[in-house]
Amino acid sequence: MKNIKLIFAGVLFTLSASFIGILLSGRVQLGSLGRAPAEEGGPLFPLREPGLAIQGRQVYISLGCVACHTQQVRPASQGSDIAKGYGPRHSVARDYVLQSSVLLGSQRIGPDLANYGARVSSENEIHAHLRSPKAGSAMPSYDFLYTTGKDGAKVPTEKATALVAYLKSLKIDYSSPEAKLNQ
Amino acid sequence: MSQDSYRPSFNISRVDASVAQPVRLFFASAFLWLMLASILSVITAIQLKDVSFLGGCSLTTYGRLKALEGNLFAYGWVTNALFGLNLWLMSSLTRFEFKNAWLANVGGVVWNLTLTYGAIQIIMGNMNGLSLLEMPKEVAVASFVGFLFAALWPVVAFSRRPTGHVYVSQWYILGSTFVFPIIFALTQLLVLWCPAQGVLQALVHSWFHQNFYLLWFASSAIAAVYYFIPKESGRTVSAYYLSSVGFWTFFLVASWTSPATLLGSPLPLWVQSAGVVAAILMLIPLVILAINFLGTLSWNRGISQSWNNTTLRFVLVAIFALILWGALFATFSTRGLNAVIRFTSFNTGLEHLLTYSFVSFVIFGATYFILPKVTGISWLSSKLVHLHFWSCAIGTVSLLIITLLGGWQQGSGLRADWPSVIFPSVLLLIGHIAFGINAFGMLTAKLSSGHESTHA
Amino acid sequence: MTDQHHSPDQPRRPSAGDSHSVSDSRLVEAHSHLARDKEEPKEGFSLLPIIVVFIFCGFGFWAGLYLTRNAAGFSPSAFDLSAPREVASDGPKAFEPDLAKGEKLFLQQCASCHQANGLGVPGAFPPLANSAWATGSEDRIIKIILAGIAGEMEVNGMKYNGNMPNIGAGLKDAQVANIVSYVRSAWGNQAEAVMDTKVAEVRKAIGSRGQYSPKEILEQHPLEAK
Ligand code: HEC
Ligand code: HEC
Repeated sequence: MKNIKLIFAGVLFTLSASFIGILLSGRVQLGSLGRAPAEEGGPLFPLREPGLAIQGRQVYISLGCVACHTQQVRPASQGSDIAKGYGPRHSVARDYVLQSSVLLGSQRIGPDLANYGARVSSENEIHAHLRSPKAGSAMPSYDFLYTTGKDGAKVPTEKATALVAYLKSLKIDYSSPEAKLNQ
Repeated sequence: MSQDSYRPSFNISRVDASVAQPVRLFFASAFLWLMLASILSVITAIQLKDVSFLGGCSLTTYGRLKALEGNLFAYGWVTNALFGLNLWLMSSLTRFEFKNAWLANVGGVVWNLTLTYGAIQIIMGNMNGLSLLEMPKEVAVASFVGFLFAALWPVVAFSRRPTGHVYVSQWYILGSTFVFPIIFALTQLLVLWCPAQGVLQALVHSWFHQNFYLLWFASSAIAAVYYFIPKESGRTVSAYYLSSVGFWTFFLVASWTSPATLLGSPLPLWVQSAGVVAAILMLIPLVILAINFLGTLSWNRGISQSWNNTTLRFVLVAIFALILWGALFATFSTRGLNAVIRFTSFNTGLEHLLTYSFVSFVIFGATYFILPKVTGISWLSSKLVHLHFWSCAIGTVSLLIITLLGGWQQGSGLRADWPSVIFPSVLLLIGHIAFGINAFGMLTAKLSSGHESTHA
Repeated sequence: MTDQHHSPDQPRRPSAGDSHSVSDSRLVEAHSHLARDKEEPKEGFSLLPIIVVFIFCGFGFWAGLYLTRNAAGFSPSAFDLSAPREVASDGPKAFEPDLAKGEKLFLQQCASCHQANGLGVPGAFPPLANSAWATGSEDRIIKIILAGIAGEMEVNGMKYNGNMPNIGAGLKDAQVANIVSYVRSAWGNQAEAVMDTKVAEVRKAIGSRGQYSPKEILEQHPLEAK
């Protein structure tokens, strides 16, 4: 092993083995995944995100929410996510096909948000939560996303509106061919 | 052949002198970033307990500071230090004298300027949502160029070396130097420039993460351990013939481990299973490393003797950290256990174990060895060296206990909140300040101080 | 490089202070000798290579085993280890009845009694060719295959009193669908192919039960007039 070319070739080989073995073959399998109807002839899921939600995703990224929140529900055999109410079924690859940047996340300092839009009742509730999260929780207040209007009431900025639209759009409450909802 | 470096004098050897400038630059910038990163880690630790702390504006909100901390630690501290370490080590082992080492300075400057720019962008919120890839994509191009100029010198030294013999450290350095640009470019391409579809992004990202930690960080650090153990103990490495098997299995298996960090995620089962298998197969190279390292040190009360040598003391802690990491990583990649600890602070602990307790400790140990050689001055204060060691050792152990145990409790439903790491973070910061004072004292001093050795 | 390289089995005491006992070039050289000779001075290590090889083989074996057990057939749509494997299809895609597969399965599963030409054995096994039982209602033939049938019956004017076991219970929905589709199109039979979803439906409806008697099944699905 004195030959630099040999070392280079070997290292290249080991890297490309895993590159081909998991990334490329993963791509072959999932790369052309599209949306699918929940039942024969029904609308295609995941639904297209409204434009505002796409902007909201950008806000979510730029404030680093992903440091504390995940967006993936594990199967019942792999943790208690479903039991905790994070979603009615586990997440599948198809749920993410429309997302330009996928924010699976890796730490749950706060709850999972994959199905938050289906849990929450109104936009006002989200606004209220962003401005003043539960006392004593680690979630910081995002009061700086709101300005005070003429009458002293808090007015959401464009960013806050977009963020809320995004959070509202997070849903996996539909059947996917790979993971049916239990009727 | 120059034997200067082994006389107890502080003449800088010709070989060392030829790389002294860039090595000093890399180390100096690494220490600065380390300071910043450890201040940030104290701040973010406090923010988790007291949400109002620096929370009133978007620039200092937790999400951004946390991302910044991660980037400064990885690209600022570890990567810069590894530039210096790899360069110095390779030139020492090959006895190659650089003529144009200033080019490495250019690389270092480019690397650090782009990092500064990237850091500002993160603070401004212009960032991506994947850890260690947060900096905007344009930054990556400049970083890439900076990397090539800063890091490829070991390759030059190796291919032009005057001596024919090759030592295992050199393979690891070459390996890690080859790996970084490849994974960095591919990942930037597949995640930021022309994003892969859906969850594949997460897969590519994890592939980058694992390779970055194992094949760039750990591999370079392993190179250094392989060097310092025989060097400082005066023994040849035991079971040395295993080291090449260790090297190849390490590189072959490490890059397959990435899906093991994504168990339960919406990736096909077989991808996840491949990761689990790799995580467990990692035990092979790690056992070989353990045989090589501990076998050498356990000779004739070697462990207690290495305790009296500053460099080996750090390296010893690092070796145990690496072994512990391998054992925990393999154990907790099995599906049943992983289901408990996934998404909890346990993973923070594992990451800390690898990147700090192992890699950073090796760098500390190496710095105590290298800085005198490239500055010609000995360490200013042995008290500070002790303070550094104990503060960081206690800090890192307590951080591990808190995050690992806390993560386990979180996962099994025994506690709801995220364990607080304020105490260990402060300890680490104190240690780093002690280290910084010592190091910057050397880096800035005139070449005239006394000959008294302060090696603890 | 004139200096003797120190023998590896004589550990040197690490010298105190900052002086370093081994020079870099000697360090490199000594190890490259070690690597070349592959000879270890210490006795205890001689078993190591063999043990290591064994351990490697064990790891490799385990890895293969684990992968085959936990990869859900390398399907791109399996995410849940405990989920039933069949669900892993590409969504509500149309199932294509495959007559070639159906023929093969028929030869394996049915031909021992009903014969490859579908004519059966007079007096013992009724024919499938030109049998109203086989070409009429989908439900009926599926039920017969899934649950089996025993008792007196008449097929094409000939009386039988035999016993057909519940062969379909051990087959997958798609397999049963392929067989039925084949039977309904072979030997001059002309009836519609059957979908796997239909089989799944029937399987669910009848649950696990004993064999049908011809009387019971004819009550549910009377023979169609030819
Ligand atoms: C420091 C970690 C942290 C950060 C950063 C953070 N959160 Fe949270 N989040 C939490 C915690 C802890 C909770 C649970 C307590 C609560 O409901 O207030 C939570 C709860 C939530 C909930 C309610 C979930 C539910 O199921 O009721 C939403 C929605 C939410 N966060 C959105 C966000 C958004 C949007 C951002 C970024 C702008 C963000 N969080 C940033 C920690 C964090
Ligand atoms: C062990 C022998 C045996 C096997 C194997 C067998 N059958 Fe039968 N099958 C019979 C007998 C005997 C009857 C008549 C039962 C009775 O008399 O009640 C019958 C009846 C039938 C009938 C209704 C009468 C007719 O001829 O139309 C159909 C349809 C049929 N079998 C289909 C199949 C198919 C399809 C398979 C393969 C999946 C199969 N059988 C396998 C023994 C067998």
